[in-house]
Amino acid sequence: MRKPFHILCSALVVFVLLVSCETKKQTIEVNRNDKLKVVATIFPLYDFARLIGGEAVDVSLLIPPGTEPHSFDPRPENIVSAGRAAIFVYTNDTMEPWAGSMLKGLSSPGLVVVQAGRGIALTEEHRPDDGHDGHRHGHEDAPDPHIWLDFDKARKMVDTIVESFISVNPAKKELYLGNAKKLKDSLAGLDQKFSAALKTCKHNTIVHGGHFAFGYLAKRYGLKYISASGFSPDAEPSPQNLVRMSKTLKKEGLKHIFYEELVTSRMAEVIAKETGASLLLLHGGHNISKQELDNGTAFISLMERNLDNIKEGLQCRR
Amino acid sequence: MQAVVSAQDFSCRHNSAEVLSDLSFEVGEGDYVALVGPNGSGKTTLIKAMLGLIKAAKGCIRVFGYHPDEQEEWSKIGYLPQKHLSFNQGFPSTVREIVGLGLPAKKTLSGRNREADIEAIDKALELTNISDISHKLIGDLSGGQQQRVFIARALVNEPKLLILDEPTTALDPETRENFFSLVNGLNKEKNVTVIFVTHDMGTIGKYASKLLYLDKRIIFYGSFDEFCRSDSMAHFFGESSQHIICHKHN
Amino acid sequence: MDILEFLSYGFIRRAMTAGSFIAVLCSVLGVLLVLRRLSLMGDGLAHVTFGSVALGLAMKVYPLYVSIPVVMISSVGILKMIERAGIYGDAAIGIVSSLGIAVGVVIASASGGLNVDILSYLFGNILSIGDAEVYISMFLAALVLLTIFFYFDEIFSMTFDEEFAKASGINVNRINLILAVLTSVTVVLTMRLVGIMLTSALLILPAVTAFQIGRGFKHTLFIAAASGVTSVITGIFVSFCLDLPAGASIVLINFALFFAAFSLRRFNVFHG
Repeated sequence: MRKPFHILCSALVVFVLLVSCETKKQTIEVNRNDKLKVVATIFPLYDFARLIGGEAVDVSLLIPPGTEPHSFDPRPENIVSAGRAAIFVYTNDTMEPWAGSMLKGLSSPGLVVVQAGRGIALTEEHRPDDGHDGHRHGHEDAPDPHIWLDFDKARKMVDTIVESFISVNPAKKELYLGNAKKLKDSLAGLDQKFSAALKTCKHNTIVHGGHFAFGYLAKRYGLKYISASGFSPDAEPSPQNLVRMSKTLKKEGLKHIFYEELVTSRMAEVIAKETGASLLLLHGGHNISKQELDNGTAFISLMERNLDNIKEGLQCRR
Repeated sequence: MQAVVSAQDFSCRHNSAEVLSDLSFEVGEGDYVALVGPNGSGKTTLIKAMLGLIKAAKGCIRVFGYHPDEQEEWSKIGYLPQKHLSFNQGFPSTVREIVGLGLPAKKTLSGRNREADIEAIDKALELTNISDISHKLIGDLSGGQQQRVFIARALVNEPKLLILDEPTTALDPETRENFFSLVNGLNKEKNVTVIFVTHDMGTIGKYASKLLYLDKRIIFYGSFDEFCRSDSMAHFFGESSQHIICHKHN
Repeated sequence: MDILEFLSYGFIRRAMTAGSFIAVLCSVLGVLLVLRRLSLMGDGLAHVTFGSVALGLAMKVYPLYVSIPVVMISSVGILKMIERAGIYGDAAIGIVSSLGIAVGVVIASASGGLNVDILSYLFGNILSIGDAEVYISMFLAALVLLTIFFYFDEIFSMTFDEEFAKASGINVNRINLILAVLTSVTVVLTMRLVGIMLTSALLILPAVTAFQIGRGFKHTLFIAAASGVTSVITGIFVSFCLDLPAGASIVLINFALFFAAFSLRRFNVFHG
């Protein structure tokens, strides 16, 4: 009676072994072609590297799509893929605190490690929320790692990434520099669009039901910004903070509250329900869903969508 | 008359080793059976099998005519397990609550805390002489007191069959005597059938009417008189023990 | 901002209402679990939920539809391992929970990423409870309390001594199944509502507090429920006064209650 079951099991085991060997062969072939292999930790870096390198590089995103990078814990397969790469790009030690220890465990002397946020000072200002009695929390005083959301800082990050590409593969210098210029131009264009549009708004406060990611962006365009939790989405908001947010929405006469990408929007929904506001997405760009990755969604287009939503939320004219 | 317990070709296995083999015996109404035998002889296994806690490998054992899986007379059976003192000493229950566990579970919402239940518990507490500590937590009592609580739990249903697995280990001599005479009274006056596992052959000899000597199989089953007259007695215990066990009968 | 204004906010009232029902539910179940040395059942099943949510997301099915049956099977599995294989409760929970995580990790990486973050999907926050969820918590509390009331004799007997319960004619397997199902549904839903930290704390701490001063089984269940509810209400007020996260405040209040009960017992206030 049990024989068919045994045969089935053995067949399954053999099948699994064959399939896994098959995939391994493919990875090796990818390695063999002469594209520069780059691993980037989070989505903005992945997108920048992809645009700078064009056809000449093969970029992969370390954090699986859909995973929130603050709560990420590298797995063996991630470490292996980082080890196979020529260049490893990450933001800074505040954004990816796990990157340092992961690289330490890696013995590939040829690997070029690029800290894209190199030379960019992180603000340690506590969140500029309004009408607040001056209570300060430890985590609010921590440095804010979300530098890619300041488009001027993002341009600096592009420069840092390009430098590393050229140092590893000088032959393609012209291509890299050309692509980087295009990217920096569109970031500059984005910056202009934001500053032009955000001057014309009826309101100037962004109420965000997510974690404190848009500090740099708000500061750059002279907006006020309050968020439900601190720099990481894992932090639990306090009830007083939710009350403060509801009050701000009512006081400013705002009709919209923003929610963040990937994680559930429950916190924003609660405040929306309390105040009758409706929800708008404000994409922090940290990571994108599998679907978006498969569609080839770009950082610039995410930010353009953000601008549309902010314009709607703050009732801007253009 | 129907036998209270009857076993036919009953065998039990544990991890593929035979623990009990081919037991066939009957316990009649009003019998007082001393179940004896060396350590590991299967006494507790036999009792657990009667209660359906262990499955038969072969044959069957019936109590009140029912197979353990189809037993309908649970309320006629009073049971004191062997390891009754190895419970969680921090368990937050009063003596009264523990004694109440011996009563049948009530399935209906209206059937709870009936007068009859309270009376039954009071009576059992009195019989075992623990009425004064009935509101204490079980963990706050001494070992001997706890043992009396579990005896009360076995008696609370006024069972027709009392199965006691080494019930007197933690009792002081006086309480032990009281306990033996209590069980003896129930047996003589109310015709309660008793199955009593013990190593204390001397004391049980004074009360029990029958002896079941077990060592993975039945070595001897019959009245004490027969046992004292039989060769197996001398063979197993030697002449000196014979005197202690059979003094009543000599 | 004064207390009355604070209470005028819907999410605070919902946190208090749903939180209280969840507290009663978890505390009462917790007494049964802790007494059977299954204190970490909540944590273990939370890990299984992680695996099953990943499975649900990968299969593009609403994750709760996958989680609830999978977690039920796991909790029955834990009980069977203890009963049949003679494995200790903590080890059995450990086996099932690590299996749950492993399955989740394998699925998450095999599917090459997902469209939402699993962790955020799993862990709710007591401040973000919606109206429908208030009703869910009421319904669940009613279901669990009625079941425990109806099967009180059986459940009490089994919690004290499962073998004796079986030998007095109680259908131990059926009651175990019922309790496993209730525990699973409770863990999956309350975790979604108030997060794993609070679920696990409410399953263990009120029970342990009640053991310090309970003067009987029923009394212990009442004290556990009362201490759970007190911790939720006081915790939310404390979090308001000190501007702290609500969930963590509730856990701290729970510990304070336990410590108070423990001291009372030490000074023999309840036991003469």
